[in-house]
Amino acid sequence: MSSDVMIQTQDLSKSYGSFKAVDRISFEVRRGEIVGFLGPNGAGKSTTMRILTCYLAATGGTAKVNGKDVFEDSLGVRQSLGYLPQRAPLYLDMGVLEYLRFAADLRDIDASTFKKRARSVVEVCGLAQVLGKEISELSHGYRQRVGLAQALIHDPPILILDEPTSDLDPNEKAEFLEYLKRIGQERTVLLSTHNLNEVEAACARAIIVSRGRVVADGPLADIRAKSGAVRTTLTVSAQGLTGASVSEAEVTSAIAAIAGVSKVDSLPSEGSYRLDLASPQDVDLRADLFRLAVQKGWLLLELAREAQALEDVFRDLTLGDERKNRDLTAA
Amino acid sequence: MNKVLTIAKRELRSYFDSLVAYVVVGGSMLGLGVWFFLMQQGGFWQIDRASVGRMFEFLPWTLSAMVLPLVTMRSLAEEKRTGTLELLITMPVTDADVILGKYLAALGLVGVLLLATLIYPIALFVFPFHLGALDWGPVFAGYLGTLLLAAAGLGVGLAFSAVSDSQIVAFFFTAVTLIFLHVVGNVVELIKGPVADVISFVSFQTRFAPFARGLVDLRAVVYFASVAILSLLFAFRSLESRKWK
Repeated sequence: MSSDVMIQTQDLSKSYGSFKAVDRISFEVRRGEIVGFLGPNGAGKSTTMRILTCYLAATGGTAKVNGKDVFEDSLGVRQSLGYLPQRAPLYLDMGVLEYLRFAADLRDIDASTFKKRARSVVEVCGLAQVLGKEISELSHGYRQRVGLAQALIHDPPILILDEPTSDLDPNEKAEFLEYLKRIGQERTVLLSTHNLNEVEAACARAIIVSRGRVVADGPLADIRAKSGAVRTTLTVSAQGLTGASVSEAEVTSAIAAIAGVSKVDSLPSEGSYRLDLASPQDVDLRADLFRLAVQKGWLLLELAREAQALEDVFRDLTLGDERKNRDLTAA
Repeated sequence: MNKVLTIAKRELRSYFDSLVAYVVVGGSMLGLGVWFFLMQQGGFWQIDRASVGRMFEFLPWTLSAMVLPLVTMRSLAEEKRTGTLELLITMPVTDADVILGKYLAALGLVGVLLLATLIYPIALFVFPFHLGALDWGPVFAGYLGTLLLAAAGLGVGLAFSAVSDSQIVAFFFTAVTLIFLHVVGNVVELIKGPVADVISFVSFQTRFAPFARGLVDLRAVVYFASVAILSLLFAFRSLESRKWK
């Protein structure tokens, strides 16, 4: 099984002077996994990735990529991975095809293999229309695609992508994640981001870091469950079944009285009351809510139960970072 | 070695895709023309000698003050600023490949410039004009000396480009250092003793002088080569130091 571990870090640390950017991070990523590497800005995501890609050296601990140590066999590590740094820093004065050729040359890919590989990455990354263009003429979205193509040109078993979607518009983002799923079928992908929707769209597993440490690591469902709470949202029309008007206070207080409801938040909506309820994980409020609505003659427009959003967990786990930023007494 | 050449090829293309190559070659040729035919004791025709020696009075200065700093300023500084260095270095290339590739490209561009200046001895003494029997010895020695001086100066430039994030700063420090190394030779005439010996030892001007007269001075060859190698080692260390900062 151990040969299946494609990325492995053990107590990985990196200090800049007295500042610990990465503080004893340990994790493993296995073959075929797409893992979201999450954390607020400055949590140490990029630093970790730069150590994995041999751009920086760690001050402590070890990191292995494809079974090779990043320090002992740096060239071997770099051969087996494709890397897209933040903001896709490409040579703007080069043409797209020319750039891919350059990347292939540096990776010792001969002309006939390049032809085959180029065809495949152009198709996967959707570059057919811009091949002849200079990179400086491309939008950020396309530059990002060229960056991804560059990382895929040698068909690496491992991909490390640092905030690949941060400059993209929503359409491009959705497409990019679509590519990523296709690419990730037979590869190991470590993807950093602070956008949680992306993780939910593309990854089965997430590693959350905060202030240089891993604060959560596991399948998304487990991480969500970590907070031990579920959300139930419901919408009740301001007009009851019989046409009589219903007041918000009445709805809120009746619902708060249901056993198991730990918190009621009201969300903005027009002509109806939208409420967000929190309850322990083993309680399902839906039956009680429906019964209550029937009994009171409310018109129920929406009722849904979901595990706590990843976003909430993320905030819970990493809030210290931001609090520290705003706490003058600590400085 | 392949990777060094791949990097050098890209750099060289980038020189010619941007204005740098044209400014460097065009500007130097223009300056050389003015100097050669018009300035300094009335120009080439007034001296009435079958010699292109005055070319080697002009080239070392222009190279030191303008060309070499201009050619090397972007090499690493700009890549660090835009972040492209990160992508380059995380490919399977060594830091030495990167340094050598960039150095070769810069040397290549200066080589193109020197080839362009060959038009002077050729046009005046071979074809279409035959102004006399040119003694080619000093010409070749002069070119060799110029190339060596350029090799050393480009090393210095690359070293400054490696420590700086700004092209302008890299240009400035390279130009000041090279001009200093050049003019410091003049001080020797004012002072005597061991200090003067040291100064004349490090001065580019003193080292270059024999070449301009047609002598290949082995000590100067070693000196210029040493400066180039030490500078490149420094640039290499500086690039590598990103890892430990």
